[in-house]
Amino acid sequence: MEKIDTGDTAWLLASAALVMLMTPALGFFYGGLVRRKNVLATIMHSFFILCLISVQWVLWGYSLAFGPDHGGIIGGLDWLSLRGVGQAPNPDYAPTVPALAFMVFQMMFAVITPALITGAFAERKRFKAFVVFTLLWATLVYDPVAHWVWGTGGWLRTLGTLDFAGGTVVHITSGVSALVAALVLGRRFGYGRDALEPHDATMTVLGASLLWFGWFGFNAGSALASGGLAANAFVVTNTAAAMSALTWMTVSWLHKGAPSVLGAAAGAVAGLVAITPASGFVDVSASILIGLGAGTFCYVGIQLTKRLRVDDALDVFGVHGIGGMWGALATGIFATVAVNAAGADGAAYGNFAQLGVQAIAVLASASYSAFMTFAILKLIDLFVGLRVPEHEEVLGLDASQHRERAYQI
Amino acid sequence: MEILAFASFAVLVVAWLLAPTKAVAVETSAEGRAAA
Repeated sequence: MEKIDTGDTAWLLASAALVMLMTPALGFFYGGLVRRKNVLATIMHSFFILCLISVQWVLWGYSLAFGPDHGGIIGGLDWLSLRGVGQAPNPDYAPTVPALAFMVFQMMFAVITPALITGAFAERKRFKAFVVFTLLWATLVYDPVAHWVWGTGGWLRTLGTLDFAGGTVVHITSGVSALVAALVLGRRFGYGRDALEPHDATMTVLGASLLWFGWFGFNAGSALASGGLAANAFVVTNTAAAMSALTWMTVSWLHKGAPSVLGAAAGAVAGLVAITPASGFVDVSASILIGLGAGTFCYVGIQLTKRLRVDDALDVFGVHGIGGMWGALATGIFATVAVNAAGADGAAYGNFAQLGVQAIAVLASASYSAFMTFAILKLIDLFVGLRVPEHEEVLGLDASQHRERAYQI
Repeated sequence: MEILAFASFAVLVVAWLLAPTKAVAVETSAEGRAAA
């Protein structure tokens, strides 16, 4: 039996708790961006997913994602309801911590990923449709793609894809799915005519700050050990977030004439997204360039999305889709074995093939997510209906879906 | 790579110096106007 390292175990469990905090933080980030009549429903999306996927993951999600491989596509059902996943380490994934610690750390990633999508269909999706969508999406999209990239025998892992903490698994899948969801659901009532402005920017900045805090667990925890690699991931994560926030704020300042507070918050999140796949493979100089790219590309992408009149309500594709793609490709450019001997050199160090591998991972995860999300949404629309009726949308989802009100003042 | 990192940060600093600083009048609430 592998020997358990107490330092590694403590760090991984603390990281799992940090990542857990990110999902309610996302609820606040999104909650501030919607109108006051929809804030409870928006926060509920994240909180409900925390509960739903926590159960789905232990029953079958973990087994599908990390269980014994079947053809590089999916894990087996051998670990249903965590059979065989106990206090002993699994040397295939994390040889110095209990298998249960690795499982719960991965659970928090499975939780936050579908929660990211909810920003695209905010203010108009039927709660029942959201519940069914989340369960199907987690099972049919997240679990298989997590296996492709991280599972032993997964085909993208075998190909040599570098994804330290979830650029493809978390951000490309959720970002692309968000775009598909926005297109399938259609625009909110009043889009392009009414203001549809954020009701509480302070809540959004608080949410972004808590996301940033939790992201240290997301990225540095993905080292799966308490050591130098975790420290590198921690530093480059902070640097990229800061650089992206500065860049987004600057670009929006030059474009619209004022340094936007919400822009700085969104920029920080874009930087965190982009550094996610790279954080265990790049040095601090590269993280500055990755942050610069994230702040620029995501801002420009959102402007284009708005020009095309796609109502991705809270810019999920712009931040997570574009940021995730940039991060995955940037990993193929800036990765170096000087940071992580178990990784690979990228194009900047003469290995152009790595960039090709990363591009394949981007295309595969994006196209699979888009197709499956479209199919799941169409199926739900057939049996449940995706959108609330127009009068309920005008009334607000807090009242129409939950019979509650956020503010009594 | 270090040179690019320094250069990109320098570009931002220059942009802050060149960025517009025009103040825009913001409508205040009734209470705010009364207090003023």
